[in-house]
Amino acid sequence: MSSVRLSEIPRTSGFRTGLLFLLLFGASFLGLFGYTYWKTAIYLKQEVDANLHRQIDSRSAQSPEVRLQEMTRHAEQDREGRVPHTLFAPDGKVLAGALQAMPAAPALDKPDEFRWDKPTGGHRPIRFIKHALSDGNILVVAQDVYDIHEFDELLVQALASGGALLLLVGLFGAVWLGNATRLRLNSLSAAIKRIVEGDLSRRLPIKGSLDDIDRIATVVNGMLDELERLMSEVKGVCDDIAHDLRTPLTRLIAGLERAQRRGLDEREHAQVIDSAMADAKGLLSTFRALLRISEIEDSVRRSHFAPVDLNRIGEDAVEFFEPLAEERGIRVRLIGSQEAAVISGDPQLLFDATCNLLDNAIKFSPDQSVITVEVVRANKTVALIVTDEGPGIPEAEREAVFRRLYRSESSRHTVGNGLGLSMVAAVARLHELALEVSDANPGCIITIKGRELAH
Amino acid sequence: MTHVLVVEDDMATAREIEAALQDHGFEVTLAHDGREGILKAISSPFDLIVLDRMLPQVDGLGVLTAIRAAGNATPVLVLSALGTLDERVRGLQAGGDDYLTKPFEFIELTARLDALIRRGQVQRPVQQSNELKVGDLVIDQVRRTVQRGERKITLLPREYALLHYLAEHADQVVTRTMLFEAVWDYAYDERTNVIEVHIGRLRKKLESDGESALLHTIRGSGYVLRAS
Repeated sequence: MSSVRLSEIPRTSGFRTGLLFLLLFGASFLGLFGYTYWKTAIYLKQEVDANLHRQIDSRSAQSPEVRLQEMTRHAEQDREGRVPHTLFAPDGKVLAGALQAMPAAPALDKPDEFRWDKPTGGHRPIRFIKHALSDGNILVVAQDVYDIHEFDELLVQALASGGALLLLVGLFGAVWLGNATRLRLNSLSAAIKRIVEGDLSRRLPIKGSLDDIDRIATVVNGMLDELERLMSEVKGVCDDIAHDLRTPLTRLIAGLERAQRRGLDEREHAQVIDSAMADAKGLLSTFRALLRISEIEDSVRRSHFAPVDLNRIGEDAVEFFEPLAEERGIRVRLIGSQEAAVISGDPQLLFDATCNLLDNAIKFSPDQSVITVEVVRANKTVALIVTDEGPGIPEAEREAVFRRLYRSESSRHTVGNGLGLSMVAAVARLHELALEVSDANPGCIITIKGRELAH
Repeated sequence: MTHVLVVEDDMATAREIEAALQDHGFEVTLAHDGREGILKAISSPFDLIVLDRMLPQVDGLGVLTAIRAAGNATPVLVLSALGTLDERVRGLQAGGDDYLTKPFEFIELTARLDALIRRGQVQRPVQQSNELKVGDLVIDQVRRTVQRGERKITLLPREYALLHYLAEHADQVVTRTMLFEAVWDYAYDERTNVIEVHIGRLRKKLESDGESALLHTIRGSGYVLRAS
């Protein structure tokens, strides 16, 4: 925004749109005004002509004596010479009326105009018709049309000044629009530039008017939110991987070095190899789980989705884990929904996710307790709920537990790689299901819920 | 003697596989790239082919397609570092008989190869009997009942399915992964401890006091149903 380049204005979409509208508006203004002008001018002239024809008709109908008498009287009354009707003898001599001489006219009975130099001084535009009377005299009916000319002129002036104003305002408007667009885009591109430079917390400015640029900015901001989440997750994961893999690697190398340093007997050798293999396998399983999660997060998998009944998933998972729970006297209770609770999904992934939840529940449950797996279907929503009687998850950690490799303090010493719940979270995200943790007092309730698949 | 063609470009891995298979009693021929693999597979008969998914010259799936196109029906186990489900499906669709993700344990490889050989042999004699017998254990496949000597054994449906699979592969090592894939309708996800518990339950029912061991655990991650 620092470099205000006004030369950019003519290229902005705002300016161009403004200009286009100015053009359109100007054209329609010209059309409308021209038509009005044309119609008005013709109308006024026609009125005058009609009046003149009426005069001819009424004068023609009079006897020559009455005509002469009335015209003389009319000329005396019309001192201004507004309607200077004049009667000429066949030789052109004035019999009665204001005109000094017969105006030159190409034809009889056709309206025409001439400039009348008045005997009192000044000159006026006169519209007239020449008519040959039955007694051989020539009647010229005439009317001063100065006002009409004046009106025409005023109309044209108004058109010109109105047009000029329109052009000026329009141009200013276009420039203003162009500048507004330019400033808006400048602020957007400045924000984008900052984001490209690495400031991922930055967002595109939104005016709040919900215009088209706002809408794009909102979408882009949503994209940036997701991007930021992913970036921070990747960073967090990298840190966690570095830590989580380095620890067993260190242990593994230390064990091997110890074996190398000391002379060990066969039994001790076997022990070292066993523990090295256990460490290596642990590393591999962490890797595999990480890869699995990134595989799940690839939304291409949605193309394999099919209708899945959560009751079946719950049944299979409970059936699979029941013997493990029984070993510790834990009872796993399955409460299915009356009707099928169908969502669109990948049965394998949903089974794995449910297994992870059950695995966790068993891991953290005290002996002789009860774990409940419940499938609920109500109001077009379906849910799978796993409840245990373990220590629960403290409120502060409820978001963090879904992060990759996160181990809460209380679980740090249990078996696991800290990927179980993030795998569940990835599956939920892929299926657009909501994942919630709540308190069973004591115990933990994890709910996966989403919209039922329409039949 | 079972003759296995191993097509694997990484020398060290190839040698390890060769050693493991030789220890298992197989005769091994190695091929180090796709083209060599196709030539060897077509020119001489093998009982089994172990094929790496990613190979120089011709890619593993290309080799598989070429072998199948040449009318060769030798069972093929595809090895791959690509573990995703989609990859697995693609490997099986191209004509592979089984798919194993690297890294793997050799017990898993040999157990799966045994199963593939067995599958090839079972196809010839059509099953004449409704009964599967392992020592004094008798499984009636029609009535789905199990008996050991005179003692009737009541099994849950899933336990029956487990036992049935083990009995079909009697005297052969079956890994937890194979069990999970065969008995549960889902692909394997490392939950070996759970399978172990299921096996433990089954074993308790099969071997009551005084009876001889029937369901043996093999070091690593396998089981074998064998009359001792």
